[in-house]
Amino acid sequence: MANTEHGASIEINEEEIDQICEEFGNREGAVVQILQTIQEKYGYVPAEVLERVGEDLGIPHSKMFGVLTFYSQFYQEPRGKFILKVCVGTACHVRGAGLLVDKIKENLHIEAGENTEDMMFTLEPVACLGSCALAPMAMVNGNTFGKLSADKMLDLIHQYKEEASSDNQEAVPAS
Amino acid sequence: MLTETVEEMAAGLFRDVTIPTIHIGMATCGLAAGARSILELVERELEKRGIEARIVPTGCIGMCHNEPLVDITMPGKYRVSYRNVKALIIPQIFDAHFVKGDFAKKYAICQIPIGGHSPYEGLPLMNETNFFKGQVKIVSSRCGLIDPSSIEDYIATNGYKALRKMLTSMTPEMVIEEMTKSGMRGRGGGGFYTGLKWKLTRQSPGDEKYVVCNADEGDPGAFMDRSILEGDPHSVLEGMLAAAYAIGNTKKGYIYCRAEYPLAIRRLRKAIDDAKEKNFLGDNILGTDFSFDITIKEGAGAYVCGEETALLASLMGERGMPWPKPPFPAQKGVWGKPTVINNVETLGNVGHIILGGGDWYASYGSEKTKGTKTFALTGSIKNSGLIEVPAGTPLRSIVFDIGGGMLEKKIPFKAAQLGGPSGGCIPASGLDTPVDFENVVAAGAIMGSGGIVIMDEASCIVDTAKFFLKFTQDESCGECTPCRVGSKIMLDILTRITEGQGQEGDLDELIRLSMYVKSNSLCGLGAAAPNPVLSTIRYFREEYEAHIRDKHCPGTVCANLIKYVVIEEDCTTCGLCEPVCPTGSVTWDKGEVAHINLETCIRCKACVDACKFRAII
Repeated sequence: MANTEHGASIEINEEEIDQICEEFGNREGAVVQILQTIQEKYGYVPAEVLERVGEDLGIPHSKMFGVLTFYSQFYQEPRGKFILKVCVGTACHVRGAGLLVDKIKENLHIEAGENTEDMMFTLEPVACLGSCALAPMAMVNGNTFGKLSADKMLDLIHQYKEEASSDNQEAVPAS
Repeated sequence: MLTETVEEMAAGLFRDVTIPTIHIGMATCGLAAGARSILELVERELEKRGIEARIVPTGCIGMCHNEPLVDITMPGKYRVSYRNVKALIIPQIFDAHFVKGDFAKKYAICQIPIGGHSPYEGLPLMNETNFFKGQVKIVSSRCGLIDPSSIEDYIATNGYKALRKMLTSMTPEMVIEEMTKSGMRGRGGGGFYTGLKWKLTRQSPGDEKYVVCNADEGDPGAFMDRSILEGDPHSVLEGMLAAAYAIGNTKKGYIYCRAEYPLAIRRLRKAIDDAKEKNFLGDNILGTDFSFDITIKEGAGAYVCGEETALLASLMGERGMPWPKPPFPAQKGVWGKPTVINNVETLGNVGHIILGGGDWYASYGSEKTKGTKTFALTGSIKNSGLIEVPAGTPLRSIVFDIGGGMLEKKIPFKAAQLGGPSGGCIPASGLDTPVDFENVVAAGAIMGSGGIVIMDEASCIVDTAKFFLKFTQDESCGECTPCRVGSKIMLDILTRITEGQGQEGDLDELIRLSMYVKSNSLCGLGAAAPNPVLSTIRYFREEYEAHIRDKHCPGTVCANLIKYVVIEEDCTTCGLCEPVCPTGSVTWDKGEVAHINLETCIRCKACVDACKFRAII
């Protein structure tokens, strides 16, 4: 069991971790891929899992921790349901990406890298998503949105909020 | 040139097609502009009208500013491109083609020739438009023309022909010879001769060698590799096959792609699977004893991994820290074995070079930079997008002919930033610089991987230098002190300057530190980190001095240095600015010119945006 910052816990199946490591032949060279696979599964890399992977591969924990923290796309904490990746690359910067980031911070009361309290959104400014002609742009869970403005950004957040609440309603069985 | 390649390739694509074809640009730029919903609308409209047509998702043809793009090809006719397609105009376009047998003049940009088909009257050909006129498409020739997820489309456009030619009629030495003749230099920015790199790796002793494709395109403002990977993934595989064949003893290759490019990774996966099925990859390729396989490795978010030795470290599961060269990857690369590492664009060109010959490729370009180069043209420019031009094309023609000039006509050109965080700014006086490796360096920037960001007079040079330095500072891996600490001190100074706390002597200190960081850093990232600062001090010293001495930001970007004033002559006394001010600093009475209290103003720019008459600056 791993505790998240909000007290919720997720079940960690050690056998499953071993299996993932085995799929990659327990090779030291595959450690980045193993961690990526694990993150895809849990949404982040819990501390216990990191230790387990180190044991399986015979890599000291210090080194495992070094690799994990080197790359910006590994997370040690759980993240929101929707990841707001706002591009702050050159072209987006020139066309006002900073305003988008400020608007999100102000509206959702979070700083860069933080989650909203309800774990709905995570703000993640990223360097260049490679669609500079449509600057400023953002990517939400893999969907790209171009030519944004602060207001359009708020609309987008609103849409995702609605989507989430309608999903929840569907999940409740009709009585 | 442009027309011939495109015409010939397109002919292959439409050989057996008897029904209308609708191409929709579905690269990341198209998707960001809403191509997915356009695709649904097109499907619905076809169904409603009972029309049988092929819908082909395609890559990026380069006109990102015109996305979403929809192209219609009627049987036997040229392909018509429509720009900025919205829900409302789809029925009009359909009416024109399917009812009147014509095209919709109002929305069409140009027509793309197809060998054996006939043109429409009254619509410019692709190569007659300003955007395409100066371009020569080699590596990007298939992008936007073919369905990138269809290996059949690739084969129909001369794909895997180079592989066949190589395996049946060329020795590895002959392949290297063609690459040498072509004069191809690494398109990732390094500019090392590709033929020589392959030759050195071939000569390195070892019974196990590797080919690595560097697809970790991390420069902000650069998306050439993304466009190629999303628009023509097989060309990169074919280039890797050629490298493997040329260096010998190679059974395995890796593509290291940044994780921010999910679509590129999906397209590559599909391409590899399809190529395996057709035996262009795998064991005993096309019945020969040549075997080669490719694995994709996803990056995990570290800019420094674009540096080749850092990339190799990351590939082997380590922290992506660069190592000092020598040993070069050609001697000791992946798992300590000789390795060829080439950039996406370099590899994408290889098939074309083998088919057309090294001499043909070298007939384009300038004296020391042969062939073509792709650029991502962005910023305050009208036609932003992906372009491919012969090396040595003057910057002026890239900006004003192909790029269509400034985004806002009234605000003049200030500088072009080339080469991203390792590059520099070229001012208006340098517009005639031929864009190739040597000349751009002489002008104080680097050609780099191909990002060109255009800045107008409303942008701030100091802020731009700060932006890039902040980027490299964030991405510094921390291994060597000059880069880790030096860039931090430089950033602190720049931040002070932009906040109005600049002091006399700051510029000399910045130059001194720049020289130190440049000459003492371990890898390319650190060695190039001061470039944006040095080139801007060289050309825009007065602007730095205005920040330091007069506490004034001429581009009105640095918030602390802005003093908003109302221009009395332009103020229509409408009062729109008053209610938007969050601090009540704008005062206005009916019929009176507004006034801004600078004591309480927080420089949020709300009044500037609210004023429709541009009376507040």
